[in-house]
Amino acid sequence: MTALLKSGRSGVNVYAIATPAVIALGLSLSTSHFLDSGNLSNLAQQLAPLAIATLGQLLIALVRGIDLSVGSTVSLVTCVISASGGSAYGVLLALCLAILIGGANGIAVAFGNIHPIIATLATMTFVQGLALYWLPSAGGQAPELIVSLANSHLLGIPTLLVVAAFCFAATAALLNTTRLGLRIYAVGANPLNAFFNGVADKKVTVVAYVLCSVLAAVAGSVLAGRIGAGDPLVGSQFALNSITALALGGVQFSGGIGGVTGALVGVLTIGFMRNGMNLLGIDAFLQSAVTGVLLLAAISFQRRNTVGF
Amino acid sequence: MSPIVSSNTPAPVILAKSVSRSFGPVIALSDVTIAGHAGSVHAITGENGAGKSTLMKILAGVVSPSQGHVERDGTVMRFRSPQDARRAGISTVFQEFTLLPNLTVSENLALGREPGWGPFVSAAAMRGDAAKVLQKIGFERNADTLAGALSVGEQQMVEIAKGLMADASVFIFDEPTAALNKSEVQKLESIILTLREARKTIFYISHRLDEIFRVCDTVSVMKDGKLVTTRAADTLDEQTLVNLMVGREVGFLYPQRATSQGNMRLTCSELVVTDDWKPVDLSLHQGEIIGLAGLEGQGQRELVRALAGVSAPISAKIFKSDVTGRDIPYRPQLGVVACQKAGVGFVPGDRKGEGLYLDLSVSDNISIGTLKSRMLFGRATVDKVRVRRIATDLGVKTHGLDQKVGTLSGGNQQKVLLARLLAAGVDTLLIEEPTRGVDVGARAEIYSLLRRFTADGGAILLTSSDLPELLGLCDRILVVRGRDIVGEVKGEEATEETVMTLALTGRHARPLEKAI
Repeated sequence: MTALLKSGRSGVNVYAIATPAVIALGLSLSTSHFLDSGNLSNLAQQLAPLAIATLGQLLIALVRGIDLSVGSTVSLVTCVISASGGSAYGVLLALCLAILIGGANGIAVAFGNIHPIIATLATMTFVQGLALYWLPSAGGQAPELIVSLANSHLLGIPTLLVVAAFCFAATAALLNTTRLGLRIYAVGANPLNAFFNGVADKKVTVVAYVLCSVLAAVAGSVLAGRIGAGDPLVGSQFALNSITALALGGVQFSGGIGGVTGALVGVLTIGFMRNGMNLLGIDAFLQSAVTGVLLLAAISFQRRNTVGF
Repeated sequence: MSPIVSSNTPAPVILAKSVSRSFGPVIALSDVTIAGHAGSVHAITGENGAGKSTLMKILAGVVSPSQGHVERDGTVMRFRSPQDARRAGISTVFQEFTLLPNLTVSENLALGREPGWGPFVSAAAMRGDAAKVLQKIGFERNADTLAGALSVGEQQMVEIAKGLMADASVFIFDEPTAALNKSEVQKLESIILTLREARKTIFYISHRLDEIFRVCDTVSVMKDGKLVTTRAADTLDEQTLVNLMVGREVGFLYPQRATSQGNMRLTCSELVVTDDWKPVDLSLHQGEIIGLAGLEGQGQRELVRALAGVSAPISAKIFKSDVTGRDIPYRPQLGVVACQKAGVGFVPGDRKGEGLYLDLSVSDNISIGTLKSRMLFGRATVDKVRVRRIATDLGVKTHGLDQKVGTLSGGNQQKVLLARLLAAGVDTLLIEEPTRGVDVGARAEIYSLLRRFTADGGAILLTSSDLPELLGLCDRILVVRGRDIVGEVKGEEATEETVMTLALTGRHARPLEKAI
């Protein structure tokens, strides 16, 4: 409880913020290219899709859930967009599919009382199959508009970074200033007590899952713009990476504690680590092992803080 | 001071009419009619399990009556949820609070009806609304404090504020003072009096007599799910009220005390439980039942748990001997399993959470006691005959030994827990709250079981928050206060006053002549 008091319900603590800062500082001292604008802009474009998907995962974590299907939703969206012959309807279709996926997850969890891991594992498998059926191997052509947007700059800043920043601002506004945001925190702390206080806890849960999938669809569109094509397996790491980012950012999967700042520092930590190891020339296979160790170290510095009296 | 309560009072604001409710085979409430009037504080009292809480849960919309109904200003209501009751102007402060710890006080107060524009919440409006209500009840903390940072008393004030916020006209307080300290109790009482001035209807569930006489004008006494009587408070005195509540000779419930003291069973000297404990000495004899008394949270539980090896004491010199008088090495630092091997069994107060495997059968739950000495991968054979003998011996009532423990009544669950330890062959029992959630009939059986255990050479140290139980059952009562044992009273000489004086002041009650 004392931990809750120090950081409020955002869950952000000194270690969570210090970790990416220390890594960035270390890299800027030990490599000569880290601070190059080329490297940073490239890094930002690389991280934008993951950052957007992590925001969705954040909403789910706040209502005590977990969404394993974000990755396959991202993949499916890239496929749908790229296999529609450059038509804007592809984007619309992808968005509708995402709402269906999120709705299915939310209803299964909230009304079906299915554990989130099981429910989203099922949709993950289903959606992955759908993506492979739509586009059996990487290919197709993403709509021209999205591709040019993804590779453009706005006042010298990569447009993707602007899109990601917009998503962050929107999520922050949702959580901190709206009725839904307050109720998401209430449901995360204790669904039954939230219900006693007049919150339709099940509806709030479903809405959180739908918003998560919509954000995954945005992440997928952005990603399709960047690679210029669809790829049925491109999102396979998104679920675990977004969960890792949240854990690094002090978000509690037991619900009710976390915020966009945590999501941001988590994503930055992952991005800096990966970028740094590339710059330092660490073998690609070793990178995964090193990441594991670093994550364990970073997280063990943070005290777990759960909601409770 | 108290308004006149008589048969010609105006129509009740709220009326529970002939309500009954049973849970499975247990009848929790049968044909109770109770009325609440504006500007009245109505005490509902009775022993544990008398049906008070069930009645209040019906009024609060948590439980629906199997028969009868609730009327609000003469209209029959069907509450399907607590919200229904709240919309009808009934606000309940439950024993377990419903605040959300990660929301601020003002957010908690606004939740469910947040002020604001469109999808947005206005933090300023929430603060303003909260400030108005909180000021009324004299809440001193900042309304931006997270609810998780509040003390129990402060949380309760916020719960009350929630009712005021909803402009409720009926307030139900379910044992509100159970977790409060003295100044918080005073504050609560003054809030209740303010509510009464405002012509609210208040139900006050409690079995603390002094409080009832201080704040209530009407008293209803319940017993075994039935309403015994409803009277104006000024027509009652404490003794009458106690007799109405108990409705029988108290002594009847309890078996005869031990006539003689046996050999020493456990001697602890300089036991330091945790850093903030003073060193205490304690001795337990064969054939004896010792009770630890004291106000809630003074350290009784920690003391028993330290002796039982649940949480290791900082230091302790303990000597233990078995039934034959042989010395047994005893070190609680080694943990519960080691303690049980040395013959000391622990019965936790939270039977369901810490004691029993609710999804396993009665026979599994008991025979686990006999398996402690097996190797981890050893074959677990169940001595059916022995389990059956112990279960019948203790009078565990089941459909069969393969019935799941979770489906048994509280009393039978407690017997299963005792049976497990007896099967493990312990000679000393450390028990927390031996009869919490156990109905009166089964309580008498458990008391006589405990006596039989000590008569056969056992010894028992127990804690209880039920003072009459300690007075009726124990041979000696040790009073714990501020993490120290402050006094000892012989069972047959102990009265509520002697024990409570020790528990409250840490001193023995002064003899009368000196007090003058």
